[in-house]
Amino acid sequence: MTKKVEPVAVAKDKTLHRYLSKPARVREDRRFVTGNGRFVADLTPSGTMHIGLVTSPYPHARIVAINVEQALKLPGVVAVLTGAELAKATEPLRQYIDVPEVQWRPLAVESTRYAGEWVAAVVADSRALAEDGAELVVVDYEPLPFVMDPERAAQDDAPLVHPSHGTNVMVKREFVWGDVAANRARAHATTKVRTRWNRNSTVPLETFGVVADWDQHRSVLDIWASIQMPQFPEQIAGALRIPTNQVRVHFDVDVGGSYGVKRGIKHGVLAGFLARQLGVPIKLIEDRSENMHGGDFHGPDRIFEVELAYTADGEFTNIRIDVLDDEGAYPGRSPLQLAKPIGAIVGPYRIPSAEYNAIAVTTNKTGQVAVRGFGQSPTNYAIEAAVDAVARELGMDRMELRRKNFIQPDEFPYKIPSGTEYDSGDYPGVLDKAIEIANLPELLRECETIRAEGRLAGIGVATCLEPGGGNAIFENIMDPSTDKSTFPESCRIRVDGGGAVTAIVSISSAGQAHETMVATLVGEELGIDPDRVAVVRADSLSGFPSQSPVGSRMAIVLGRALHGAASELKSKMCAIGARALDLTPDEVAYCDGSVASVKDPSVSIGWDDLVGIAHRKQHLMPPGMQPGLEVMHVAHTPKSGTLTAPDGTVQLYPCFSFEVHVVLADIDPSTGKVDLKRYFIAHDCGTVINPDVVRGMVYGGTAHGIGVALYEQFAFNDDGQPLTQSFMDYLLPSAHEVPVIVDAEHCTPSPYTTHGQKGVGEAGYMGAPAAIAGAVNDALTACGAEPIHSLPIKPSDIWRALNARTPNQEGSS
Amino acid sequence: MKPVDFELHRPETLSEAIALLAEHGEDGKVLAGGQSLVPLLNFRLARPEHLIDLGRIASLTAIRRTPQRLIIGAMVTHAQAERSVAVAQGAPLMARAFPHIAHQAIRARGTVGGSIAHGDPAAEMTAVAVALEAIMVAVGPRGTREIPARDFFIANLVTALDHDEVLTEVRIVPPAGPTGAAFEEVARRQGDFALVGAGAQVRLAQDGTIADIRICLTGVSATPHRALEAEAVLIGHAISPESTQTAADATRDVLNPSSDLHATADYRRDVAGTLVSRVVKTAVQRATFDTTSAA
Ligand SMILES: Cc1cc2nc3c(=O)[nH]c(=O)nc-3n(C[C@H](O)[C@H](O)[C@H](O)COP(=O)(O)OP(=O)(O)OC[C@H]3O[C@@H](n4cnc5c(N)ncnc54)[C@H](O)[C@@H]3O)c2cc1C
Repeated sequence: MTKKVEPVAVAKDKTLHRYLSKPARVREDRRFVTGNGRFVADLTPSGTMHIGLVTSPYPHARIVAINVEQALKLPGVVAVLTGAELAKATEPLRQYIDVPEVQWRPLAVESTRYAGEWVAAVVADSRALAEDGAELVVVDYEPLPFVMDPERAAQDDAPLVHPSHGTNVMVKREFVWGDVAANRARAHATTKVRTRWNRNSTVPLETFGVVADWDQHRSVLDIWASIQMPQFPEQIAGALRIPTNQVRVHFDVDVGGSYGVKRGIKHGVLAGFLARQLGVPIKLIEDRSENMHGGDFHGPDRIFEVELAYTADGEFTNIRIDVLDDEGAYPGRSPLQLAKPIGAIVGPYRIPSAEYNAIAVTTNKTGQVAVRGFGQSPTNYAIEAAVDAVARELGMDRMELRRKNFIQPDEFPYKIPSGTEYDSGDYPGVLDKAIEIANLPELLRECETIRAEGRLAGIGVATCLEPGGGNAIFENIMDPSTDKSTFPESCRIRVDGGGAVTAIVSISSAGQAHETMVATLVGEELGIDPDRVAVVRADSLSGFPSQSPVGSRMAIVLGRALHGAASELKSKMCAIGARALDLTPDEVAYCDGSVASVKDPSVSIGWDDLVGIAHRKQHLMPPGMQPGLEVMHVAHTPKSGTLTAPDGTVQLYPCFSFEVHVVLADIDPSTGKVDLKRYFIAHDCGTVINPDVVRGMVYGGTAHGIGVALYEQFAFNDDGQPLTQSFMDYLLPSAHEVPVIVDAEHCTPSPYTTHGQKGVGEAGYMGAPAAIAGAVNDALTACGAEPIHSLPIKPSDIWRALNARTPNQEGSS
Repeated sequence: MKPVDFELHRPETLSEAIALLAEHGEDGKVLAGGQSLVPLLNFRLARPEHLIDLGRIASLTAIRRTPQRLIIGAMVTHAQAERSVAVAQGAPLMARAFPHIAHQAIRARGTVGGSIAHGDPAAEMTAVAVALEAIMVAVGPRGTREIPARDFFIANLVTALDHDEVLTEVRIVPPAGPTGAAFEEVARRQGDFALVGAGAQVRLAQDGTIADIRICLTGVSATPHRALEAEAVLIGHAISPESTQTAADATRDVLNPSSDLHATADYRRDVAGTLVSRVVKTAVQRATFDTTSAA
């Protein structure tokens, strides 16, 4: 399916790197390809009982009564837990904004707020019996008024999702950065585009799963879960009212996909509570429908209005972005997703001032959670739609308009109006690379040929940023009373008595190939073959501070921790070596496993001898030095540690990757079917650590973006019922829908990271929806139809746009 | 998503299967390839206590051809029929339809009989059965019945089969003379049930006029639709851009499809017409090729 155009470029000074950026096996692949991953569903401690869920059929209803008698009579059913019982013994789940009246709990209490919400849990010998039992629980509901449309929800007289909160508006933040009035005055015109990013998500192959086991004699709750969640252990402990050192989360479980959504706090609290109450291991593996309508893992659901002001020759002078986000019934962490785009609010463009008005509302839909990019991809889509609209207004080439407004390579670090500094970039260079691999003149000819044959064709372009190195600051932005600014990562490096190197992290991974990354970076730092570096995962009690792999941050922040640990290790080895060589530590240097005299490198001591001294020869150790070779380093996120300034300016993420998509769409004018004929991406994430991992991220993210642009939507009907409860209706793109992707790497190293690396976890997805929508709209506007500004674009939408043309417009096609 | 507890029976012969069905009455259900039934079991939309798997009954897996008949055993898989020369010659429209059914993995298990017994108006096989005037043979405790397609499909997912009857074979009369067929659909993704699908099988007379034409549509009505109105426009004439256009409009005029998440009714109606004109053109081209290559 994929074609290599050129090898991934490495950092400018290639000689600097021995293992980084070089083609190398991805070590995780072997176990996944052979079907030997170890997922939570594979774990069943003896005596495990299984949870089945009773869910609400109504979008909003009062729970009048729950009758569990029949269910309890079923052989094999051991317990039925209702929301009222659970609420008595636990704390509500955490909200990240100040909404004390909005109580989110694993099982609904008093009323249910979306169809699919969990109402009761049945525990039985098998999952099948638990489902049998769940059918026998009789719930008496009194339906209540509900609201499904976010714009309606924002109105004063709308039905309230959380009546005691008094409004559906969960948070409303308004920002003005720069001299808006002057910049507007300088503009020749403005273009306004309303865009609709409908609800989709990163739908993982593995649904959420958890196994919890309480050991009452050791006072430890062991949890194996399919998670990608900062502060998971703390939140479980908090909700269960037990000390944090009694929750042990095991990170050596493979996670079958996430990109943000594997949070599972409510699942963990429910299973943990039942494990403690019943004294048996409890397992909950969501089925696909539960995952889709009750897992609280939907992504952003947004309405944007972007107003872009520009001069007669196409220079952008001001941008205003209004956004309304539909959080579903429980906001949780999702309002924070409105904050992240502040760090890239002007995209790659030199726009001197910006306005941002963000509102989050609750509706009676499934809850929302973090999804790949944390709100950035929808925002990129909205900005790029406005840029294309300006190009149409001015009759300017879309690439040239972008090029004209790009921040130039010599302007970095570049501070955007919202106060965030972009680290580095070469936007014109990446665009040139995209034009080159796309063979643009040929692509334009192909587009014309398709049009001449009577079909519709269009070319889409998107030039988008991927902020990387996620920090905690969005909490402070959305709720200034929160002053959290620390978001660390850490690693331990151990050289054992046998001289073998082990790197220990305490995170779980959901396909990001962290073991490859850690081994490569440790190998690079220590000058040893990465294949000889073991990577293991400590659990949450024996491990170290980590905020989990979110916000494209591990290469950046964990990379920093690895560098710190490796540096400390090397200086320890230098101290030992210097003593053995009768030199002072500053007269020696570490190189590829040995310590040698700086003056005369032939005077040196090798790895085995250094290890021997450290582990076994106290008499040769520098006095006062701890035995062994064991170092641990906790790293802050680069460029973090400041709060939002009173004027609303803020430093968000430290690193900015960049991507240019160029896509050719061929559309059947009678059926509206879109065929993505050609797909090109030029991408820059600074120094590449492993080329295959980067390429995999770019391809996967692009496939996801294709889904968002043309196929995927969690839809609800007017009765508040979810219409997408299986893969029959939630349409993930398959190998048929994802075309050959031709990619090229560019490398602009980041000055803020250990080797110039930037984030790549959200690559492809950052620009694909914008580019594909751009291609469809190029095809539509070329034949006189109006552009479509709502995703996903379905064949019937295109058909409708074509049929809405006036006869006059049709004549111009 | 676990089915309600059931007992699985795996009879070796048709008579055993019928006896089991008779014994368990409304609580029994036939299992063929399981590609529709197993999801229904997992969603607990079907809750039989006894499943009678036809997978071991060898007599149901044969494709036979006599001069007057093509006979397809109910347990013939889509994949098996897709590769069959007898099907390609005896039922060109059916052969053209298989590549549109789901994906290879599903076609390797799903059966022609299962698809027809399931009675989904969005399925290709039900539409083909109607267009080719297939005869469905059902065997039950009261003997054997031959049910013509026009009487077989009663409503969405409802057929003339009684709960204790097994569909054993599908009989089709092969075309005599130069014939061409075509099947086209619009689905949101490759392999999905189509938003709209259309098939045509055309036999040409010596003079190039249409001697016999069968047109069917999927996804536009509660039972598989045969586009008699379009056939009436075209039969007896050579095709022209005007006649296929008229046939398309005639189709649109009578359809009353429904809207859902994936497409509106207006879209389905309009595209149905477009697909009718496309498949007729292609089928005629193929029939013409059949004439010239036979000559
Ligand atoms: C992802 C997916 C995509 C699909 N896409 C398509 C598509 O695009 N087009 C399409 O047409 N189909 C599609 N299908 C359905 C597939 O073609 C099925 O094979 C077919 O509908 C049923 O055939 P089966 O042999 O699997 O029957 P089963 O699922 O075993 O049975 C279906 C029903 O028919 C009854 N039945 C089966 N055989 C007999 C018999 N001999 N006598 C009496 N009753 C019987 C069963 O009791 C049951 O009620 C898809 C399926 C899947 C899973």
